[in-house]
Amino acid sequence: MDTKETSGIRRHEVNPRTLAIDRWMARLINVGGVGVIAAVLGMLVFLVAQVVPLFRGAELEELPSAQLPAGVAALVVDEYGELPCAVMPDGELRFHRLDGSLAKSWRPDLPGRSVTAVRAYPRDGIVLMGLDDGSVAEVKVGHRSRFEAAGARVVEADPALASVLPIVPGAALESVHHVRGPAGRVVLVRHASPAGARLVAVKVAERRALGGKVRSTPSAPAAVGAGLAGVVGEVLMANGERILAVLADGQAVVFADADGSYPEVQRFRPFPDSPGARPTSLGLVLGDVTVVLGSDQGHEEAWSLYPQRQADGSEVRAFGRIHVNEALGGRADGFAPSPVNKCYVASSRGSLEIRHMTTGTVRWSGPPVESFLAGFLSKNHDQMGVLESSGRLRRWKVDDHHPDGGWRAFFAPIWYEGGTGPEHAWQSSSGNDEFEPKLSLIPLIYGTLKGTLYAMVFALPVALLAAVYVSQFLRPELKRVIKPTMEIMASLPSVVLGFLAGLWLAPLVDGHLVALLLAVLALPTTALVFGTAWSRLPLAARRRIPPGWEFAALVPLLAVSVGAAWLAAPSVEAALFSVRDPGTGQMVADFREWWRLATGMSYDARNSVVVGFVMGFAVIPVIFTIAEDALSNVPPALTSGSLALGASRWQTVWRVVVPTAMAGIFSAVMIGFGRAVGETMIVVMATGNTPVMELNPFSGMRTLSANIAVELPEAPVGHTHYRALFLGACCLFLMTFVLNTAAEVLRQRLRERYKVV
Amino acid sequence: MTTSPTRIQVNPSVPGDGRPDYIRIQDYGFWYGAKKALDAITLDIPERQVTAFIGPSGCGKSTLLRNLNRMNDLIDAVRHEGDITVGGRSIYDPTVEVISLRRRVGMVFQKSNPFPKSIYENVVYSLRVAGVSDRDILDETCESSLRRAALWDEVKDRLQDSALGLSGGQMQRLCIARAIANQPEILLMDEPCSALDPIATGKIEELIHHLKAQFTIVIVTHSMQQAARVSDRTAFFYLGKLVEADRTEKIFMNPAQSQTEAYISGRFG
Ligand SMILES: Nc1ncnc2c1ncn2[C@@H]1O[C@H](COP(=O)(O)OP(=O)(O)OP(=O)(O)O)[C@@H](O)[C@H]1O
Ligand SMILES: [Mg+2]
Repeated sequence: MDTKETSGIRRHEVNPRTLAIDRWMARLINVGGVGVIAAVLGMLVFLVAQVVPLFRGAELEELPSAQLPAGVAALVVDEYGELPCAVMPDGELRFHRLDGSLAKSWRPDLPGRSVTAVRAYPRDGIVLMGLDDGSVAEVKVGHRSRFEAAGARVVEADPALASVLPIVPGAALESVHHVRGPAGRVVLVRHASPAGARLVAVKVAERRALGGKVRSTPSAPAAVGAGLAGVVGEVLMANGERILAVLADGQAVVFADADGSYPEVQRFRPFPDSPGARPTSLGLVLGDVTVVLGSDQGHEEAWSLYPQRQADGSEVRAFGRIHVNEALGGRADGFAPSPVNKCYVASSRGSLEIRHMTTGTVRWSGPPVESFLAGFLSKNHDQMGVLESSGRLRRWKVDDHHPDGGWRAFFAPIWYEGGTGPEHAWQSSSGNDEFEPKLSLIPLIYGTLKGTLYAMVFALPVALLAAVYVSQFLRPELKRVIKPTMEIMASLPSVVLGFLAGLWLAPLVDGHLVALLLAVLALPTTALVFGTAWSRLPLAARRRIPPGWEFAALVPLLAVSVGAAWLAAPSVEAALFSVRDPGTGQMVADFREWWRLATGMSYDARNSVVVGFVMGFAVIPVIFTIAEDALSNVPPALTSGSLALGASRWQTVWRVVVPTAMAGIFSAVMIGFGRAVGETMIVVMATGNTPVMELNPFSGMRTLSANIAVELPEAPVGHTHYRALFLGACCLFLMTFVLNTAAEVLRQRLRERYKVV
Repeated sequence: MTTSPTRIQVNPSVPGDGRPDYIRIQDYGFWYGAKKALDAITLDIPERQVTAFIGPSGCGKSTLLRNLNRMNDLIDAVRHEGDITVGGRSIYDPTVEVISLRRRVGMVFQKSNPFPKSIYENVVYSLRVAGVSDRDILDETCESSLRRAALWDEVKDRLQDSALGLSGGQMQRLCIARAIANQPEILLMDEPCSALDPIATGKIEELIHHLKAQFTIVIVTHSMQQAARVSDRTAFFYLGKLVEADRTEKIFMNPAQSQTEAYISGRFG
C-alpha cells in the first residue's frame, strides 16, 4: 500500500478493493435499474398485445369460387363449407363439390305435387318447401362429416323428408317459414289471393312417439291480421310469438300470437327519418328478436322487441328502433345472418359488408357482388360465401376473432336486445347459449372510482390529521410507539381486511347502521367541542395537563360520545327513519327500508360505506406514514422561526409546516389513491361485486381489479372476455399512470415552490 | 418563584447606566435532561441598549438567549430553576401566554430561516398570525420594516418573489425585518452575522445601531470586534456560568476577571 509520510501522520491511499467494489456495485445497480425498466415495459407490451386484437376489424381473403347451377332457390352449406347444397326451385337438392362437380342429387318423394316455395334454415340444416296443394314439406339436408383413417375430412350428405303438413288446402304457397320454440312449432305461409298476398299461421304440436317417430298435430290455421293482404316480406320471430310483415307501401306491421290467432298489434314505418325510403332487405339476426332492415337508398336500421311502457302503465314487448347504422354503399339487396353471433352479411349495390348488430359496427367492407342470391357465414365464423344468380359461389376466408369487440363495445353506451335504451353494462357470462356478453368497461371504471372516492373520503381526513397531530403535537415518547404501529398496519394483508369487512363488519354495519352513522357524526363533533372548550379554559387549568397529553382528556370523552350514539340510536331511528310495514300496517323503525323508500335507491348489506371504511383502513397507514415523514422533515428552524414570531402552534402548522411539506403530503395522498384504485381483495370480499353505476353509498360496486380477480380464472384464454379483462387491466394501468404522472408534475412544482434552503 | 437571598450584582455600581433594568435574570439554572447548561445566572439587561453575550462555544449563550422568549420549551425534558422577569413580570407566570411573550420578545436566529413564501408574506407573517388582514396596514408595515432592516431598496421590486431567492445576507436582514415588523420590545439576536460577508455584517451592525433607539437588543456574538462595535454592555459566559457583565468599554479595557481578559485577548481555549 502506498503511504506517504508527512509531518508524522501517514496518509492512507484508497484501497484498490474499495475501487473494485465501487465499480462492481455501480454495474450491478445499472443492471438492476435497467432490468426494472425492462420488466415494466415488458408487462406493458404484453398487456397491449393482449388487447390490440379486440380493436381489429375482420380480415377477409377470397378463396376460389365454386360453380353451382344457375337459378338456385336456396343454399345450405355444411360446417366446413365444403359441400354446398343448392336447393333448386323444383325441390331438387344438388350437392356440389367445390370444384363444381355434382356429388349427389336428391329429390323429396312428393307424388303428384310440385314445389312452389323454398326456404333454407342453414343453422338447423333444414329446408322448408311450400307445395302447390297448400302443404309444407320439411326436408333435413343431413350434412355429415367424418374423418378417415388418414385424417382426411370427408363431408357427406344424407337428405331425408321429415314431414309434410297440409296448411292452406288448395292454395299454392308463395313463401314458407317455421320456427321451433319451447311451445312447439309454428309454421307461417304466404299465399296469393285476389286481394293480394295473405299470411296464414299454424301451430303444430309435436310429440315424439315411442319409436322415435315424431307425431305432428297441427291446430286450425289462423289468418294473420284477419286476412290483411299486400304482404311483400315477412319474418317469424321470438319463437313464433310475433310476425313482422312488410307491406308494399313500405310499412311494417306486427302481429302477436293470441291463442292461435294473430291480431295486428303495431304498425310502424321503418326509416322514419327519410320518408321516401322503402325497405328492400329484411332479415333476423341470431336470437330472432331483432330485424335488420335495409332500404333502397342504402339506409340500415335494426328494430327490436323490447318492453315498452304503454299509456295505461302496463309494459308490452313492442318493436322499437335500436340502431341506425352507417349507410350501406347503395340499395340494400341481400342479408344473411351468422348462425353463431350477431354478425350478418349485408349486401348492397355499392358494397358487401360484414356488420355486427349489437355494436352497430362495420367489421369488413368490400366491393359489391354482381348479384346477391344467398349468403352465409359459417358456424365457426371463419368463412363467408355469397351465391350470385349466375350460380357462382364466391367464398372468403374470414379472420375475425372478436366480432363483438371494438371501441363501442367497451366504452360506448349500447342498446342491447331486450334493453330499454342504450346502457353501459358489464355482464360477461350466463347459462344461456344465446346470451350475448355485455362488456362495457364503464361500470367497472365507475366502480373503481366510486370505491376510491369512498375510501378517500374516510381516509384522507383521518390520515392527514393524524399525521399532523403525531408529527407536530404528540409527545415524542408516544410518537415512537405510534409510528411503527401504523407502519405495521400498512403491511397488514388486505385479504385479512377484506375478510373482516365481509364477514364481521358488513353484518355489524347492517345491524347497527344508525348507531354507526351517529358515532361518525359524534366523534368529530365531540373533538371540536372539546377543542373549543379547552381553548376557552383559563391558562392555569390548562397547565394542569402537560403539553402533548391533552388527548388523555379527550379520549374518554370520545368513548362516552360513541356510547351515547349507541344508546341513542334506537330512539333516533324510531323518530327519523320509521316506515310503515306493508304487512302489519304498523310503523317500524328501519333505516334500510327508509332509505329505499326515501331515496328510491337500493340498500345492500355489502355496500360502499363498508368498503370505504375498510379500504380506508388499508390506505390510512400508507398516507399517514408518508405524510408524517414529510411533516416531520420540515426543518425545525422554520417552526422555531414561526413560533418566535408569536404564532400559535396551530398557526405554525397551518401556515408554515403544512405548506412546506405540501409536496410530501401530496405524494402521500397520491400513493394512497393509487393503492385504493388498485385494491382488490377488500373489494372482492366486501362488495357484492355488482357492476352498478350509481353513487348510492349503500350499494356495492365492481371495480376493475376485483373484476379481473374474479373473472380471469374462468375466462377462456384468447377469447373476447379474456381480452376484455386485459383491457380492464390496461385501463387500470392507464388510470394510475396518468394519475401518477400528473401527481409527479404537480409535486415537482410544489417542491420548487416550497423548497427549503 | 425562587427569590435568591444573595443577589449577586456583578458590578453594582453600573446598573445599566442608570436605565431601568428591563430583563432581570435571577439565579437562573437550566438543564437539558440531566445536563446542566446554565448555572445560577443572575443578570440584568437594561432597556434600549445593546447587550452582547460573549464566551467560548458551548458555554450556554444561546441557551440563555432562547430561554428569554421560552423557545427552549419546545425541547423535550428541559428543566429550569430561578426566574426571569421581563418588565417586572415573570415569563413563567402561569397566566402568561407564551405566544404573547414571544410577540414582545422577538428573535433572529443564527442561521437565517425565511419561510418558503414571498418576501412580502415573510415580513408580514407576525401580523397575519395576529389576524391583521387590512391590506394598507400590511403594506405599510412591510415597507417600514424592510426600510428599517435596510433591505427595502434591494427588494422593493420583487416583494412577491420567493424569499428563498435572496442572498444569505439579504435573508438575514429579511429575518430581522420580519422580527421587528410586529414592534417587539426586545430583540434577541443569536450570532446574526456569523454567515455573512463584511459588507453585510456592516449593514447589520449599522442596523442594530439604529434599532437600539426603539428596542432592547441582546446579541450573541463570537466576534470581539463586533461586540465592541455594537454593544453598550457585554456579558461574558464560561461553562454555563456568567463570569462578568459590565459596560462594554469596561469589559474590553479593564475586565474585572482574569478569565475575561484572557478570552478577550485571545489567549484562551
Ligand atoms: N437541544 C439540546 N439538547 C441537549 N443539549 C443541548 C441542546 N442545545 C444545547 N445543548 C448543550 O448545552 C450547552 C450550551 O449550548 P449552547 O448552544 O447554549 O452554547 P453556545 O454558547 O450557544 O455555543 P456556540 O457559541 O457554539 O453557539 C452545550 O454543551 C450544548 O451541548
Ligand atoms: Mg450558540
